[in-house]
Amino acid sequence: MPHDDLDGIVERMLDGSEHSRRQFIRHLAAAGLLVGPGSAFLAACGGVKGESSGKKASAVAHHPKVPIGNWTFSNWPLYIDKSVLKSFDKKYGGHVKYVEDINDNFEFFGKIRQQLQAGKPIGRDMIVVTDYLAGRLVRDGFVEAIDKSNVPNFKNLVPNLQTINYDPKRNFSLPWQSGATGIGVNTAKVKRKITSIKDLFDPAFKGRVSFLSEPYDSAGLVLLMQGIDPTHATLDQINKAIDKIAEAQKSGQIRRFTGNDYSTDLTKGNLWIAVAYSGDLVQLQADNPHLEFVYPEEGAMLFTDNMMLPQKSQHPYAAETMMNYVYDPQVAAKIAAYVNYISPVQGVKEILLKNQPKLANNPLIFPPPDIVKKLHPYPSLSSADEREMEARMAQVTGA
Amino acid sequence: MLRLSLRRRRQLLPYLFLGPGLVWLVVFFLIPILNQSYVSLESGNADIGYSFSWNWSVYSDAVSSYHTQFTRSLIYAGAATVIDLIIAFPLAYFIAFKAGRLRNFMLLLIVLPFFTSYLVRTVSWQLILSDNGWVVDRLRDVGLVSSNGRLLATSTAVIAGIAYNFLPFMALPLYVSLEKIDRRLIEAATDLYASRATAFRKVTLPLALPGVFAGSLLTFIPAVGDYINALLLGTPNQYMIGNVIQSKFLNILDYPSAAALSFMLMGVILIGIAIYARLLGTRSLTEAAAA
Repeated sequence: MPHDDLDGIVERMLDGSEHSRRQFIRHLAAAGLLVGPGSAFLAACGGVKGESSGKKASAVAHHPKVPIGNWTFSNWPLYIDKSVLKSFDKKYGGHVKYVEDINDNFEFFGKIRQQLQAGKPIGRDMIVVTDYLAGRLVRDGFVEAIDKSNVPNFKNLVPNLQTINYDPKRNFSLPWQSGATGIGVNTAKVKRKITSIKDLFDPAFKGRVSFLSEPYDSAGLVLLMQGIDPTHATLDQINKAIDKIAEAQKSGQIRRFTGNDYSTDLTKGNLWIAVAYSGDLVQLQADNPHLEFVYPEEGAMLFTDNMMLPQKSQHPYAAETMMNYVYDPQVAAKIAAYVNYISPVQGVKEILLKNQPKLANNPLIFPPPDIVKKLHPYPSLSSADEREMEARMAQVTGA
Repeated sequence: MLRLSLRRRRQLLPYLFLGPGLVWLVVFFLIPILNQSYVSLESGNADIGYSFSWNWSVYSDAVSSYHTQFTRSLIYAGAATVIDLIIAFPLAYFIAFKAGRLRNFMLLLIVLPFFTSYLVRTVSWQLILSDNGWVVDRLRDVGLVSSNGRLLATSTAVIAGIAYNFLPFMALPLYVSLEKIDRRLIEAATDLYASRATAFRKVTLPLALPGVFAGSLLTFIPAVGDYINALLLGTPNQYMIGNVIQSKFLNILDYPSAAALSFMLMGVILIGIAIYARLLGTRSLTEAAAA
């Protein structure tokens, strides 16, 4: 198809550029180009007949070993060292069509929803989505089970992620990268030490604070501040946390609700203190030494992006081979060095200690054990509860 | 090829010319509009999907939940339109009557910002209005902004952003209508002992009205639905109806509400235009369309 040819050309052009994700993010932040949900275009959305999706995917799978042909892998932008893809093709044959078309979980779900509900393949063999969407896909039976006999490197998964509330045995999901949601501080503006989530509500920072518009992150932190374990919070508790955020919004304490775009304002000093992602801060710090990421004493949220096989994946064996490949510590180290998030693969730190000790000793990329204990995964809510939470948060964020 | 009489062919020809435009309108306007009106009456949720159910309550819910954002959009867009008119009229007047050889160059200058993307232009306002930037510092010095105050993330910033981004839409139609005024009419007015001010009031201004009309519509309509300026230069307290629609469509996946809100926005704009056209008179409306 000519369409594929065009994609191929564009991809090759992009492959040629040499910058790492870190440099890219830095440039974007410098240019002030990191914009939130607004930069997206409207996904087409027609009226699909409502069909309840009560079907549950089978938890076991057997995918025969077949030659790897052309297959499709959807991921977030700048979330892999592309040389990994090239060496994968070389080693296993075939060609992986790597598409960076996931920018926002709900937006992406909006794009694939109609095919999923119609029981059709979505044209992608492997996707990477964050916990809450992963949970929803498992619940609704929109994913295929992973044939673990094709993923022997599964054993390298770090212990604290081997089980997760929506997929206790990891039958459907395999972590790609994790990250922490905590507090980003511009120390050029904030003179005192920030240690607690309470600092986000300090009147001294009025109008210089931002929260993430995602309730899982923002309400999660407020719950931690209130001494409630966010992973097991009830909808009622979450709603109260959102109300607390609403209060701070009304009083002018909170200046904005953001996606990744807090980074621009934080760098420029328009924001002094922000609810922030650890991986972003690693990348921004490289350019601005005044930026700091704080794991609050009450704890921080832990999010994981997961590799999954979407319903009717056409090339499950290819996808599983890729999962196995990126769980080889050598390959995982290469990815970790590029993306700077927390790697879910054991043995990566040891490899990086040898050639990139600065990265290996960064607590944001390899959190020490006492901090790992204080990282809390998102709660697993029912679809109805999740919708109510999202709608309530949307009221606060002004839309 | 059908053999038709010459007369018949002459009759059909205009429709043939109309064809491409008509197809465009049907495919990219009429069908989506009908589709969205259907969507707006659906009920359900993102998980089980939406199905059609004559669900009119979407509309009343939208009014009760989002009237603040509606009003705000109208006020911001209105303010930006008035500001643009105040800035653009003298500008267009100068270019049309006084610029001489520089005329084309100055028109180019007006359009020049359009050579960069809308997003980039708005983001650069973030830079200009930044809390620690030069502009805010000077305004603090002269006391226009309090020492702890700011410009970014306020209504002022959003209105300024909209006014800046849509200025050419006001300036160009104004220029066109001013430029085609027959100078002899003004000469005639002064020959008949009108002062320059009177000549301007009685001759230039009425003849420029179609431009004012076209310019303010071209500015106001996209400005009401804009969400980029509020998103980048404002806070949730500045969000406009466009932000709500954007978030309903893309983040909450609540398509019926998003579609209903879009329709109400369209309705409000249409009613507004109708009133405005009445006030300015239908004649200037048709002339504006011609301009």
